[in-house]
Amino acid sequence: MTLTSKSVAISLLVMIFGGIAFASAMGWWATESTKVPITFTEGEFAGQANPADIRGSYTFGDIASSFDVTPEVLAQAFGVQEGDPAGFTVKDLEGMYLASEYEIGTTSVRLFVAYYTGLPFDTTDQEIYLPQSAFDILLDRGNLTSERIAYLEKHTVIVAEALNAEQPVAPVRSASAKASPPTTERLVKGKTTFGEMILWGVPQPAIEELIGGPMPDPAMTLKDYASANGLTFETLKLDLQAEVDKMRP
Amino acid sequence: MVTLFGKRIRLFRPRSIWIRKLVQWFFFVLIALIAINHTLAESGAGISFLSSASLHAVCPFGGVETLYALVTSGLLVKKIHDASLVLAAIILILSILFGPVFCGWVCPLGTVQEWVGKLGKKLFKRRYNHFVPARLDNILRYLRYGILIWVLYITATSGTLIFEAYDPYFALFNFWSTEVAWSALAILGAVLLLSVFVERPWCKYACPYGAVLGVTNLFRVFSIKRSEMTCKADGACSILCPMNIPVDTTKVVRDHQCISCLECTSEAVCPVAKTVLFTSGGVK
Repeated sequence: MTLTSKSVAISLLVMIFGGIAFASAMGWWATESTKVPITFTEGEFAGQANPADIRGSYTFGDIASSFDVTPEVLAQAFGVQEGDPAGFTVKDLEGMYLASEYEIGTTSVRLFVAYYTGLPFDTTDQEIYLPQSAFDILLDRGNLTSERIAYLEKHTVIVAEALNAEQPVAPVRSASAKASPPTTERLVKGKTTFGEMILWGVPQPAIEELIGGPMPDPAMTLKDYASANGLTFETLKLDLQAEVDKMRP
Repeated sequence: MVTLFGKRIRLFRPRSIWIRKLVQWFFFVLIALIAINHTLAESGAGISFLSSASLHAVCPFGGVETLYALVTSGLLVKKIHDASLVLAAIILILSILFGPVFCGWVCPLGTVQEWVGKLGKKLFKRRYNHFVPARLDNILRYLRYGILIWVLYITATSGTLIFEAYDPYFALFNFWSTEVAWSALAILGAVLLLSVFVERPWCKYACPYGAVLGVTNLFRVFSIKRSEMTCKADGACSILCPMNIPVDTTKVVRDHQCISCLECTSEAVCPVAKTVLFTSGGVK
């Protein structure tokens, strides 16, 4: 069989658009991702959404659908001042923080979501930065391990508060030089974790002496520890507060 | 036909496959509109009746790039969607039937190179597309297989579309966005500049997708075939082949660089009827 150019043109168009129509009918034609991250396949978190798969095209609303974090928390963490935080697209963060010396973007959101929800996240050989506001939220939540706190200590940057389209972002302070105390008041409460105590500068031996045993998981709250070990929380709290006060500048 | 010295002589003026140019225009405009609409849609101003898919979603090469990830983990590489796989499958079937018609009829980057090449034809006449020494040209034409292997390797090991940073096709339809890398823009500029001297330089020497589709030339159903019985061996088919394939010395074109543009056939430059044909059967 010999074909002319017209036959080739018709065959080409029919096969391309017919193929697309067929694929659409079969549900195979998708030009956008489903905005649902992959899940962990094994281990303690099997079946849960993996923050490492959050994409730049996701909105804060998409993230809230898969993880236990609200769009409002994400907006507060990253200084987004839009009326509808659920509609904010993750990749737009890079534009917001364009003038920043340290990149704050999609990977920052992945890190924040993982730390906020307590899900696994590998930061090996990765330099991922968070703004101070995100760090404060994570600290207040009180579920960070000492390793995670240590990582954030070196990867938190301070940016200008005015993060709107008209206002360029001020350059960040050197992350490695970060030494400012957390903005939260250093009051020992029931929700305070052992990790926070370390963060506030209380030496681990001092803590172990007060609690009369080895340091527990840094994510554990003081009240939970006291309850589990038959200690009076009010007494422990006063002793620990005294140690914290010693560390004040 | 004209009568000279009492004899009727047929004057031949090389024709072109006009419908191919129409199809090329159609796909160029379609992809350009989709790319523009994608940008508009991101700012909430997209045109509703037009697809706002990303360029990656409507590029069949994405389907090739993600194959490793798909086979090993069941996932698609980031930015690649199911549509890329569908298009890759359609183009593969088309190529098995007709050869790399995607390159010659559809790919907008090939089309743009042809458009720039018209300037080269005007400037250099017959010297156009014959600047590169044959020996060097023959070696360079295998470069695209090396690039293909490199692209597949880096995509498989990184799980991301690293080639995007070097892809002139992505740069062509995203030069206005912040997503495109300077390296891709520089390569696009180089390709367009080279197109003034060489026809389709990207396709000939560097295109990894052209390398994939080019393999189908070895076993495609419909091929360019030349009838030795009627051929006048004037060389017109070879001289005007955009890919410099010596059609006049072969019976069946199996060259891995053929793009099935049909410009060498009797429907276009070949002055003798039914001599260079696009056929699945044999010719005498």
